[in-house]
Amino acid sequence: MTGVVLATVLGALFALGTFLVLRRDVVRVVWGVAVVAQAANLYLVTMGGLAGIAPIGKFGKEGATGVTDPLVQALVLTAIVISFGTTAFALVLTYRVYEEHGTVDVGELGAAE
Amino acid sequence: MTAHAQPDAALLLAAIGLPFAAAVLVPALYRLVGERVAYVGAAVAAGSLALVFSQFDATGSVVVDWIPAYGIALRLYVDGLSLLVALLASGVGVLVFTYCGGYMHGKDAQPRFYASLLAFMGSMLGLVFAADLIALFVFWELTSLTSFSLIGHYSTSEDAVYAARKSMLITVAGGLFLLAGLIALYSVSGDALGARTFDLVAMLEEGEAMRAALRDRGLFLPVLGLVGVGAAAKSAQVPLHVWLPDAMEAPTPVSAFLHSATMVKAGVYLFGRMRPLLRSPEWEASLLALGLTTMTVGALLAVAADDVKALLAYSTASHLGLITAGFGFQSKLGAETGAFHVLNHAVFKAALFLVAGIVAHEAGSQLLSELGGLRRDLPLTAGVAGLAAVSMAGLPPLNGFHSKELLFEAAYEFAAHDGGLAWAVPVVAVGASAFTVLYSYRFLTLFLGERRAPHLDDRAALEHDGDDDGDERGADDGHGHGHSGGHGHADGISRPPLPMLVGPVVLAVAAVVVGLRPGLATGGVVGRAFEAAQFAPGATPGEGFSVAFPTELKPAVVMSAVTVGVGAAMVPVERRVRDAVRAVLARDPATADFYYDGAVDGLADLSGAVVARVQTGRLRTYATWILGGFAVLALAGHAAADPDLALELGDGVTVATVLVSLLAVLSAAAVVRAASHVAGVLVLSVVGLMIAVFYILAAAPDLALTQLLVETLLLVLFLLVIKRLPPFYGEIDRLRAARDGVLSLLVGAAVFVTVLASTAPTPDPFLRRRLLELAGFGGEEPVGFVTELGGGANVVNVVLVDFRATDTLGEISVVAMVAISVVTLLRMRDVGGAVFPADVAPSGDGTAPDGGRAEGEGDDATDGPESHDGGVDG
Repeated sequence: MTGVVLATVLGALFALGTFLVLRRDVVRVVWGVAVVAQAANLYLVTMGGLAGIAPIGKFGKEGATGVTDPLVQALVLTAIVISFGTTAFALVLTYRVYEEHGTVDVGELGAAE
Repeated sequence: MTAHAQPDAALLLAAIGLPFAAAVLVPALYRLVGERVAYVGAAVAAGSLALVFSQFDATGSVVVDWIPAYGIALRLYVDGLSLLVALLASGVGVLVFTYCGGYMHGKDAQPRFYASLLAFMGSMLGLVFAADLIALFVFWELTSLTSFSLIGHYSTSEDAVYAARKSMLITVAGGLFLLAGLIALYSVSGDALGARTFDLVAMLEEGEAMRAALRDRGLFLPVLGLVGVGAAAKSAQVPLHVWLPDAMEAPTPVSAFLHSATMVKAGVYLFGRMRPLLRSPEWEASLLALGLTTMTVGALLAVAADDVKALLAYSTASHLGLITAGFGFQSKLGAETGAFHVLNHAVFKAALFLVAGIVAHEAGSQLLSELGGLRRDLPLTAGVAGLAAVSMAGLPPLNGFHSKELLFEAAYEFAAHDGGLAWAVPVVAVGASAFTVLYSYRFLTLFLGERRAPHLDDRAALEHDGDDDGDERGADDGHGHGHSGGHGHADGISRPPLPMLVGPVVLAVAAVVVGLRPGLATGGVVGRAFEAAQFAPGATPGEGFSVAFPTELKPAVVMSAVTVGVGAAMVPVERRVRDAVRAVLARDPATADFYYDGAVDGLADLSGAVVARVQTGRLRTYATWILGGFAVLALAGHAAADPDLALELGDGVTVATVLVSLLAVLSAAAVVRAASHVAGVLVLSVVGLMIAVFYILAAAPDLALTQLLVETLLLVLFLLVIKRLPPFYGEIDRLRAARDGVLSLLVGAAVFVTVLASTAPTPDPFLRRRLLELAGFGGEEPVGFVTELGGGANVVNVVLVDFRATDTLGEISVVAMVAISVVTLLRMRDVGGAVFPADVAPSGDGTAPDGGRAEGEGDDATDGPESHDGGVDG
């Protein structure tokens, strides 16, 4: 259902996210986590199918061929909010780390331990 | 012996469960009755003994359902062999618990000790009655676990910890071999019995068919090896005997228990149990080699030992070798040897260990080189030791004589039948037994000869090893204080308390009775044990067997005479024998410990090296290993499964979706290349916005709304924080970029393949269909479950606030917790341990307002999904 195009897109997003996670700059690590989280959500949504109408009431029911999967959407909605929480927390943690150590370089932080 | 009554499941379960139940209650009981809990333990053991005894006339199995879905049952099987070992375990248990009442006086951690000891006894009882392969394995490992706790009882002693770990590693590793063997038996049972089963009794009944099926599949030798290694590890056969001498770090009553009636007996019990199933020339050859090697090596090591408990431990290994060899012979005599020696060895070995405990307790040492001539101080103990040691040496008229005679007969018959190389068997048996005579004598030097003990403060004779029998100085006549410094005052050695004497005396009496009237045992439970080890269940003739003192000159009698003669001849040159063995042992490669320690140290080093590489404390390393590991495993898994990849464009993929997702990828690439934090944050937002658009195109309006809201909040939060961080640094060096690039591509490839593979075979979307039906989408008539009962037309919202409302509540709490943590992290910096933000005096560097903002945003986010759900509902 997903097809090659979306698989390529997801693969590319994961690869870019991974590259960011491996950087020295903690802010970039946070970005990387955010990108990977977004990509994962995208993956789940594509598993539910893209064709069809939104699963809402009688909305566009006339002549519709199908309905997208409401279950996947409900799950991903939760996932979006939680990944927001994670990212926000990681970001503030980054700020706190900078205050404590005067750097956001993972390499220097690791050496300081 | 006609024993056809069916066993009673309730009574058997009670016999097994009683010790476990008591183990749970021990801590409470200890608070009530203190150290007398030992006698409660003895009463429990007596209860189990009585319950086992109530099944004495029964034969057969009872089944209690356990995991019926997998055909696993708590199948309890009663026959002579299980009765024999169960009676020994509970009977010796009574004596050991009684002995503990004296021995453990004033020792630490008694509740734990008695709880472990009771659980250990229960596991042993469960093991011998279990006739379901899985139940058998579970009880098997339970004995390993509980004995670990018992051996390591003195947990502050490094030696005890080492010993406990050693026994655990070896017996549990052996148990894994056993498990593999049992599973192989299970897998083959389908061929032989019609249906796969864990029922050991059924397999024993069809031993011939099982053997044929095993051979057909080429599994006979593997099963023999796997089961053999398991049983050999437990019964301390060479070269897996190394845990046994160390196990004497346990309190002495535990050693007595482990070495006589339990633990090691579990191993030989398994040999006896499997004998009707696996008996074959291969079985005979391997068990004879194993048993006779163990018998000889154990006896030599016992001769070389200085510690009296070590002597007994090696002697245990040696006698278990004798039992293993006995069960190894295919002849009837072999099974008779094994079954009878299980009893005899338990009786004299438990007595000897308890004696050793008394000596160590009263004389303050357990080194043969420091002790001697204690017969006048401990007369009753000396008498018991004399009887038990004579039995161990296999001299008439004690019980050990009969089983050793049976071994000699079996060995002679085997050699006379097979000829040639088979003559090595009786020769080795005689040789090992001669050394047995020698170390039995060494044990008795505790009580013979010159009177020495640390408590006598008489260290003059330390150099001598107590082999100069006959020198009786008689200087110590029992006056004055042993520790006051004078020569040889006997008060250092007091008589042991009564509870410590009961056990040894009862056992010594048993040794004499069985020795004089072997028919009592062989016509009874030992006879039935022999039948269980010789015949298939139900095919037993019910006659037992009989032994008597020889009245004519049989080969076995000659062999016995040679044994005693050689043993006695070695007594005068005993020290030279001992030094020769010690000289060999002084070379590392000659000891099994050398290999054990090498293997354990090697594993520890390897583990340390791996940890040092994987866990460096640097984020990069962790991320690399985790992501790389995930990617490699996923790719390997897909390669192995060879999935059907959906190489098509797919439904619903329009030009718009392709464009939007390409934009998302391009912006993500721009994030990677961003020259500053601000630029990066802005393009990251573009990624999020593109994904929101994607959700709109994918007909998921709720997701799009949430995504937009979240992206806006994140953008604000990022910009606020980034303002306070250093601008940008960390230029990427090329080599590192290339390495990370490779890893990223690997992860990307793994995701690519996973996406294709996981979405290709569309499963029946049952939940989705059902949900849509409930919402009135599928059927002809709208059911209206969602609209009427859920009170909303948006299925996603109804799912969130009705179907999984609790989950959504949890999600809201997570966001709330994040908000609180954000505030705490931002505002509490200078507080140093204070808990309430109200007390905070903001440090004036702008953290406080920042934190306030973050809090507000967190709350907004909390409202996010809820508010628009509510809106739709309304």
